[in-house]
Amino acid sequence: MKCPKQTFDAEHLRECPECAAFVSAQRSVSAALDLWEAPPVSADFDRRLYQRIEQQVPWWDFLVRPFRPLAGPRWLPVAAAAGLMVAVGLWVERPGVTPAAAPASAQVQALPPDQAAAALQEMQVMQDFNNLIHADAEPRM
Amino acid sequence: MAGAAAALDYDAELMLRVKDGDGASFGVLLEKHRSSVVHFLYRMVQNAAVSEELAQEVFLRVYRSRATYEPTAKFTTWLFRIATHLALNALRDNKNERNQERLDDDTSEMPVRQVSDSRPSVEQNMVYEAKLEEVRRAIAALPDKQRAAVLMHKYEEMEYSQIAKVLNCSDSAVKSLLFRAYEALRARLAHMA
Repeated sequence: MKCPKQTFDAEHLRECPECAAFVSAQRSVSAALDLWEAPPVSADFDRRLYQRIEQQVPWWDFLVRPFRPLAGPRWLPVAAAAGLMVAVGLWVERPGVTPAAAPASAQVQALPPDQAAAALQEMQVMQDFNNLIHADAEPRM
Repeated sequence: MAGAAAALDYDAELMLRVKDGDGASFGVLLEKHRSSVVHFLYRMVQNAAVSEELAQEVFLRVYRSRATYEPTAKFTTWLFRIATHLALNALRDNKNERNQERLDDDTSEMPVRQVSDSRPSVEQNMVYEAKLEEVRRAIAALPDKQRAAVLMHKYEEMEYSQIAKVLNCSDSAVKSLLFRAYEALRARLAHMA
């Protein structure tokens, strides 16, 4: 454009045919681009996405998740889990002690409260995903 | 502006909750941004199936990155950076295939044009389809980065600074991209008044 001002206020556009033509052309382009509507997203988009996400979760993640603290080094929960198992094994096998018979209604010993809360939270996350995958897909607009 | 800033904080807050294991927050982000990402990718690659595959990959990467997510930029900046990166790769890798697919693309997947007062005549439909095809070809003729900049500017209404962050360039580079892109579009589409 040759116009030195190149401003697009109404007064200048009345006086400058070049800028007026520029604005008119730009408005035509904008209106033309407005014609281009994208097709709607397919109804099963979310279901397919959550399936892919589920496939990506490594199997060992389910084992260490209950022991993963909300903060701290990544290796710590694995080491803590291993240490816990060793400690339990040593306690069970301690000399001179006969292991008690398992009660008829044996239950897993409860985790420490914070670890139990984290485990429950992780389980709820996966349940949410499962529900989203297996729920009937709703039509999208 | 204050509302937009609040929306930014909310998206980042949701993503931080996803980082903490809140799957429902990921669902909220998906619901909020699914259409814009798919539609952006559709206009970039001009193929509905490919655009949805790419969009799936975008959200998959968002989810995979949750453990290391830090809100150093707007959530949508990060989201569209991933989407643009995937789109540019797809365009680069599939240039010849994309040309063939565009010719074969089934335009019946487009939403039916609604006319409020009466059904459009056959002639009106033909005019509309012809205009649409001109627009698609004009966008497809743009260099990839100009195309991305225009689509983000026009359809996502992003500001220059955000487009610059998405494209990892300066504000002035974005202005240059948009100037050249709109110049090319005016040459091809200005007659469609």
